[in-house]
Amino acid sequence: MNQWQGWLYVAAVLIPLGAFVVQILGLRRTRDANALIATASIFASLVLSLVGFGSYLAETGGMAAVHHDEAGGPISGGEEVHHVPEAGKVAWTGSWTWVSMGGRLSPGSAPLAIPVGIFVDNLTAIMFVMVTFIATLIHVYSMAYMWGDPRYPRFFAYLSLFCFSMLGLVASSNAFMVFVFWELVGICSYLLIGFWYEEQANADAANKAFVVNRVGDVGMLVGLGLLWTQLGTLDIAEINAGLANVEARQGDGLGRITAGDPAEEHVVALIGGARRIPHWVLVLAGLGIFAGCVGKSAQFPLHVWLPDAMAGPTPVSALIHAATMVAAGVYLVGRFFPLFTNEVLLIIAYAGGITLFIAATIALVQVDFKKVLAYSTVSQLGFMMLALGVGGWAAGLFHLLTHAFFKALLFLGAGSVHHAVHTYDLRPLGGLRRKMPITSTTMLLATLAISGVPLFSGFYSKDAILASAIRFAIDRPGHALLLILPVVGAALTVFYMFRMWFLLFSGQSRGWSASGLVPDHGHEDDPVAHAHESGPRITWPLRILAVPTVMIGWPLTVLPLTIGGVPFHPVLEGWLAYGEPLSVQPLGSAHVWAAATSTLVLVVGIGLAFLAYHPSKTIRRIDPARMANHLGGLYGLFVNKWYFDEVYQALFVRPTLAIAGLTSRFDRTIIDGVVEGSARATVALSRLDRRVDQSVVDRVVTLVARLTYALGDAGRRLQTGRLRGYLMVLSLAFIALSVGVFVWVIR
Amino acid sequence: MSDNLLLSMLWAVPLAGSVLLLLLPARNDLAVKSTALAITGLTFVLALVAFRVFLAPGGEGVGIPLSERAEHNTLTIDESTGTIEVSDDPGDLVYRGAWIPYFHVQYFLGLDGISMSLVLLTGLISLLACLASWGIDRAVKGYFSLFLLLLSSMMGVFLALDLFLFFVFFEFMLLPMYFLIGVYGGERREYAAIKFLLFTLFGSVFILVAILILYFFAPEGGEALYTFDALRLMASSEHFSGTIFGFGVQSVVFLLFLIGFLIKLPAVPFHTWLPDAHVEAPTPISMILAGVLLKVGGYGLIRLAWPLAPVGAYELSWGVAVLGVIGILYGALAAMAQTDFKRLVAYSSVSHMGYVTLGLAVMNLVDPRYYAYGVNGAMFMMIAHGITSAGMFFLVGVVYDRLHTRELDRLGGLMNVMPVYGGVTLLIFFGSMGLPGLCGFVAEVFVVLSAFNYSYGLAILAAAAVVLTAGYILWTIQRVLLGRNESHRGLPDMTTREVVIAAPLVVLTVWLGIFPQSMLGWMSPAVDQIVASVAAANEDEPEGPGAVASEPDASVPR
Repeated sequence: MNQWQGWLYVAAVLIPLGAFVVQILGLRRTRDANALIATASIFASLVLSLVGFGSYLAETGGMAAVHHDEAGGPISGGEEVHHVPEAGKVAWTGSWTWVSMGGRLSPGSAPLAIPVGIFVDNLTAIMFVMVTFIATLIHVYSMAYMWGDPRYPRFFAYLSLFCFSMLGLVASSNAFMVFVFWELVGICSYLLIGFWYEEQANADAANKAFVVNRVGDVGMLVGLGLLWTQLGTLDIAEINAGLANVEARQGDGLGRITAGDPAEEHVVALIGGARRIPHWVLVLAGLGIFAGCVGKSAQFPLHVWLPDAMAGPTPVSALIHAATMVAAGVYLVGRFFPLFTNEVLLIIAYAGGITLFIAATIALVQVDFKKVLAYSTVSQLGFMMLALGVGGWAAGLFHLLTHAFFKALLFLGAGSVHHAVHTYDLRPLGGLRRKMPITSTTMLLATLAISGVPLFSGFYSKDAILASAIRFAIDRPGHALLLILPVVGAALTVFYMFRMWFLLFSGQSRGWSASGLVPDHGHEDDPVAHAHESGPRITWPLRILAVPTVMIGWPLTVLPLTIGGVPFHPVLEGWLAYGEPLSVQPLGSAHVWAAATSTLVLVVGIGLAFLAYHPSKTIRRIDPARMANHLGGLYGLFVNKWYFDEVYQALFVRPTLAIAGLTSRFDRTIIDGVVEGSARATVALSRLDRRVDQSVVDRVVTLVARLTYALGDAGRRLQTGRLRGYLMVLSLAFIALSVGVFVWVIR
Repeated sequence: MSDNLLLSMLWAVPLAGSVLLLLLPARNDLAVKSTALAITGLTFVLALVAFRVFLAPGGEGVGIPLSERAEHNTLTIDESTGTIEVSDDPGDLVYRGAWIPYFHVQYFLGLDGISMSLVLLTGLISLLACLASWGIDRAVKGYFSLFLLLLSSMMGVFLALDLFLFFVFFEFMLLPMYFLIGVYGGERREYAAIKFLLFTLFGSVFILVAILILYFFAPEGGEALYTFDALRLMASSEHFSGTIFGFGVQSVVFLLFLIGFLIKLPAVPFHTWLPDAHVEAPTPISMILAGVLLKVGGYGLIRLAWPLAPVGAYELSWGVAVLGVIGILYGALAAMAQTDFKRLVAYSSVSHMGYVTLGLAVMNLVDPRYYAYGVNGAMFMMIAHGITSAGMFFLVGVVYDRLHTRELDRLGGLMNVMPVYGGVTLLIFFGSMGLPGLCGFVAEVFVVLSAFNYSYGLAILAAAAVVLTAGYILWTIQRVLLGRNESHRGLPDMTTREVVIAAPLVVLTVWLGIFPQSMLGWMSPAVDQIVASVAAANEDEPEGPGAVASEPDASVPR
């Protein structure tokens, strides 16, 4: 550990773990106190994270990006680069040996070790604050939301385990540890999605989430194996530093690793000496690591688990499936950025683009407002991936952070609504604005943020993403689709978010029967009738989250920071850009175009949503049903989620089960058939043997016996009892014996 | 305590106990059970004492290779006078005495990291299985007598360093196991018992032949070694460089050992005795079978097959690795299709033992440190699987005791009815699934990582198996624990006795997952010595690792 701050972060990670152990072991005794233990522990981590963050700011002079020209670097044109090389930035690290083997194999050889270590740089410090801040609020929220649940104490124990795993993931210094925590957050997600496991559907959703994630994790394991074999280390900073300087970057205008021949080898300078890695292996390793990120961040084609994951309690959806865990994939792509070659980055960008588009189209037609948010999350994660893929490193991670706040707020708002009306169905609702003023206002702020309305946080991050995409499209016109997809996606986002808000909060309640539906068991026809604003433990987290939702992207600053000389540059983006892993393209005028595009997109999206869903009677309305008709077959495609579940069921699940069944039957019939066949053959053989025994051998034996008997019978006559006779036989025998011996010896 | 006394007591105490039990009055079940428990406990304590000696600071255990320690313990037999001289280096956990001098059979016992870990595992699992046997109510005396006999022979197998002695213990294990399954088992117990017996006997023929080849083989112009001393045979692997019937002697020896031990392990396609034996065996016997007996197969491979025929192992490594991967996938797929809880767990054992095979076989010796991860992973898998599988079988038994069914379709909803059981089951099954932080993960990931240094294709297949593992484990958890099932309402949760049995397994599952070095620290030196000797033996070969490195498929270009 090189700095005291390292210990600070170790403590911030371990406190929730300690809380988990106390809670799970004392489940029967601590009971409802678990909520307090969990909340106190995550709050302690928040305090430590804030101290750490402040200390980092102080140590780096406000994370001011340093001006310097990289003559002859990958960026040409003499433009200013606001960039501290990764090697030169402040990082607090610590490392301990976890396992170490093979040290005794030969006299001089060093053991091959897998360490545990922490690595804290600006990204880690910022992520810590975000995670602990949102988690603390969600703990408070859960105290009210989950109150009365029979497994209330267990819920908080799982939350603590999750917080430990998530913070551990962010603090990990090497890819092996990332994988460990990767799986741990996965199992927390499994436990919490299936929290109400009495319902088959919830347990199914939990299984699906874990298994789909494991598909991605296989890729990650492959990536780890390849890197470990080729480079002998899994330390991310070390590999990044080595790969940032490989020669192949210089040839490409964008500073990406390219190779003409896949067999070409890159020389990577590592602490233990230079190692060589063939280009195709590097590509495969990058794809593998990215596959893990695809699973965790619910990207196409592994996005199918996230909407189902909404089966979990809503605070869980807010914390795990919106703000933190699902962003881990994006985080890892950012963290391990230099690993990805040109080919892989393109795949990342396209995966993000396809995901954001598909998910947005599905979100348009959902009638369950939690599902709208779920698909929205998938879509927004796609934006982040796309940004990283086109080289907008800071943009992607910036959006990760802004999204975390507004999406957590949206989910918590959704939970607040559900608390009041006991349904997630949009159709019978409406007019909640008057009954739930705080919820509706805060959710409106979040909706404005996600739509990218200027002055709201989402505007700045989405702007940065669009600017990166524009810049990339200029450099590589062949990949213009990577600009078209986010623009269309952004418009769709605006539309479905306002659709949801209007349907929930504006106008009048529509009621179940008027919407042609049957109310859920035992509910009244008007779900809104008795709705009222939630209690303070629910509304205060909403209010507090609304602050960063609005402000986090602002370029204003009270700190004496140098924001790279560019006025009105978001502070947060600047902090992220400090020590970017690689020089990325300066965006320049792309920002202006991006701002123009997003304004246009905004107007179109809001306008359409307003016309379709705003209840005002003064303007001429578009009938959503007619819109659906116009879409024709596409509408069905969207409603059926592009048939991914059905296709996967047919392509993967059923064949696997069929193969499993076949394997089992093969085992029973063929293998055991051979075994039992040979056993039967042996038995048959021994039967035959018995028959031979009885008919041949036994007869011979009997014959011998009879013969012996006959002989004995005959010999009986010799037994006369007369001494003379015996003596004669004896002497005859003796003579015969002597003669015999005599003959034998002489011969 | 002298080495002789300590090591001998490890197997002799349970053996004596087995006889002692027969002298007790048959009516008094409690006395029989308590005596058996006391003796099993004593055996475990003896194992702990040996462990303490092994770990003693500055002692002889951890640091000094077994082969060196063995050299300090000599046995001199004057053939003309028949006097036997034993020189024992005390406190080094090796003892060499005479047994049948005429055939050079020694009473040669010793412990190193590999056998030590398995002796501890045997002691612990047996103790827990003995506790789990409390419900046995039929021919109690016979059961516990056989149980102790089994314990004695298992200890002997792990202690023996003389091949003849090893074989005697190895064969002796079958007898009590046969009766324990055949008499105390379920409906098809006789079928299962005879299947188990015949399979293993079939395998031991191969092992016997291999041992005899080692004993009698004379290279051209040389003389046979005429020894069963495993360490001496290992040290003279260059002695075995000729051919038998046109095949390299090492390949033949390796193949014979391989078949014999793969049956015991078991590996696909020699595994079908296992599900039957498990399903029919009573719960505690299943615990021993999965927890210890399967490890005898792995132990044989790592202790005998590889070090005694390193060149043969290297030549056949590709095939063995393929067999390992097939085992992993096949076992997982077969497990997925089972409807019987216990049979499912049995197939998961087949899958997990595939990792042992694979870990041993990934012999890229260019940088043996990577191979060391594979072998250590295999060894770790044996211990980890010993813990989790014993736990899983125990948990199956807990349910069976209450519901008298193992049909997964008829279970379900147990999490709410038996929360403690649910928690323990989640943890143990996650441990088996290879969840990080639990013991199974360490083993799996070491083997898979190491496999990447051998063959990308096989490694990717082995890595892909984690999806199948997650699938069948989670599905099992769902079918057993989750959901709602009114008919199970009011089932009692785990009793104190059951919690006491499960607790050490739970603790070890977590402990070894988080602090694997606490075991690897004293276990891996022994593994590394084997890896080093295997690597060294192959170095001298013309077709050694250097030759393989040029093949793109078998090795990684660097």
